[in-house]
Amino acid sequence: MQAFSFSSTPLDPEHCRAGLADAGAGGYASFEGWVRDHNEGRTVERLEYEAFEALAVKEGERIVAEAVARFGVKHAACVHRVGPLGIGELAVWVGVSSAHRGEAFAACRYIIDGVKHRVPIWKKEHYTDGDSGWVNCERCAAAGQTGPAPGGSGHQHEHGHDHPDPAPLFRHDYSRQTALPEVGPAGQARLAAASVLVIGAGGLGVPVLQYLAAAGVGRLTIVDGDRVEASNLHRQPLYGVADVGRTKAVAAAERLRELNRDVELRAVDSHATPENIDALVAGHDMVVECTDNFRAKFLVNDAVVRAQKPAVFASVHQYEGHLQAYRPLPHWPCMRCLWPAAPRDGLVGNCAEAGVLGPVPGALGAMQAVQALKRLLGLDAGETPALVMVDLLSLQTRRLEARRDAACDHERIGAAEPQGAAPLELSFATLAEAFESGLELVDIRETWERMHDPPGLQIPTHLPLSALVNGYVEFPTEGRYLIVCAHGVRSLSVTEQLRAQGLTEVYSLKGGLAALRS
Amino acid sequence: MNQIEIQYFAVLRERAGLSRETVQTAAATAADLYDELSRRHAFGLPRGMLRVAVNDEFADWSHPLTAGDRVVFIPPVAGG
Repeated sequence: MQAFSFSSTPLDPEHCRAGLADAGAGGYASFEGWVRDHNEGRTVERLEYEAFEALAVKEGERIVAEAVARFGVKHAACVHRVGPLGIGELAVWVGVSSAHRGEAFAACRYIIDGVKHRVPIWKKEHYTDGDSGWVNCERCAAAGQTGPAPGGSGHQHEHGHDHPDPAPLFRHDYSRQTALPEVGPAGQARLAAASVLVIGAGGLGVPVLQYLAAAGVGRLTIVDGDRVEASNLHRQPLYGVADVGRTKAVAAAERLRELNRDVELRAVDSHATPENIDALVAGHDMVVECTDNFRAKFLVNDAVVRAQKPAVFASVHQYEGHLQAYRPLPHWPCMRCLWPAAPRDGLVGNCAEAGVLGPVPGALGAMQAVQALKRLLGLDAGETPALVMVDLLSLQTRRLEARRDAACDHERIGAAEPQGAAPLELSFATLAEAFESGLELVDIRETWERMHDPPGLQIPTHLPLSALVNGYVEFPTEGRYLIVCAHGVRSLSVTEQLRAQGLTEVYSLKGGLAALRS
Repeated sequence: MNQIEIQYFAVLRERAGLSRETVQTAAATAADLYDELSRRHAFGLPRGMLRVAVNDEFADWSHPLTAGDRVVFIPPVAGG
């Protein structure tokens, strides 16, 4: 059947849905839009739909295709009425068949929201008082009505109907960075697949977060236990007056969500500690260190050396700053190589004690963001380790080549016992044994991977990784789980991420299902 | 006596009250030079906490000084 079509005759849902039949479909979800008898407080008698069909069919088909691709459903279709309709008549029908109900519901919602918002269809309402009027969404925009409520996912119009928030349908335009030959679509895909842990959402963290979110880095975790203070605003302009007193991590995540809906943001409203640092670092591709104290900087340094993850460090003092990148390469120095006598806080002054001009951390943070993107895009081949010193008064930059300190034992830092961390992986001989463990098994394989599972070796709970990664489904915040995939690689990554999110009793099935069957 | 150009950063710049100076010194090594200047400017920071660069390269504190060297004392920086 046609993915999107118009009909000038009454719709028959039974007939419409016949085209969605599929032996592999375990569920069907549909939406029906009906003609109702009132709008904006006026009684409606009947209405007429009119469409710019040539354009509307193309856009409608595009929306259905997007939904099929995005949610991995079997079939989807939408039919919209045109012409005169009476009260109670079926005006629009959307149907989706899918292996599982979650994707079917989500795709159905996506299609009807998209059709309402993007397809040029006009509705002429005839009121009981003899009056009539054309209604469509452009009218709402022209009237300059309220935008999306803060943090809300839609907006209510005075005339009494809901519109989907346009933001989820807004496609972020990265063309100005993909135009760079070193970036291109492949680089953009790398950024979208990347996860970055940003520790500290202050003067350095603010520009780091803004630029990484704007660039379309797929996942950002913001760690900061501080609250926004009035004295922060001069150098942390991500926050506003109304944010004073709020947790920085939460306020930052909220603002960044408004900036780019493509980015999955997580706010951790506590400081990095010896107890949580390893779990936080484990779930990410790289770390950007933006704190204002040596205790935290060395804590992060040790964790990235242990985890062998790249990191970018920066610090500022009044009008100048330091920038240093760490890469997990044998010859590469860490922060302790450079500063073997771990400095004590309070001796050399932080922003609160020494003062700082707002754009100084802004400039250093922007430099950190460049270094982070450079790493994620793989543009740092041939780079040599250095401490970069920037003086923003004299505009002098000094690059001092840094070397591994033979006395700085990275093996020892690496061996330091991560505190409070349970093993990430568990081994079981059979699936039955795994079920008996008392852990709830969660299959994160994609739907197509599960299709050939032999009977008796099926895992009821299914949260496909693609849906988790894209945020279509959320992992429960409590419970005891064993994450399962084909070979134990994806499940380990999900387990690390869930541990970093605070779930303590979550494990990965070592070797995946392949290890069980062999 | 050697003529040495010195540059200060961060807390050392604050305490010295200048960002650069040229000194005539009998100091034989970077360590000797720091100790001499630390007394003069009352830096109050132990040498072990700093790094020194001579002619734009990190150097050991035992690095011998020669006339015309450019010496930079680098305290760690924590602000963010």
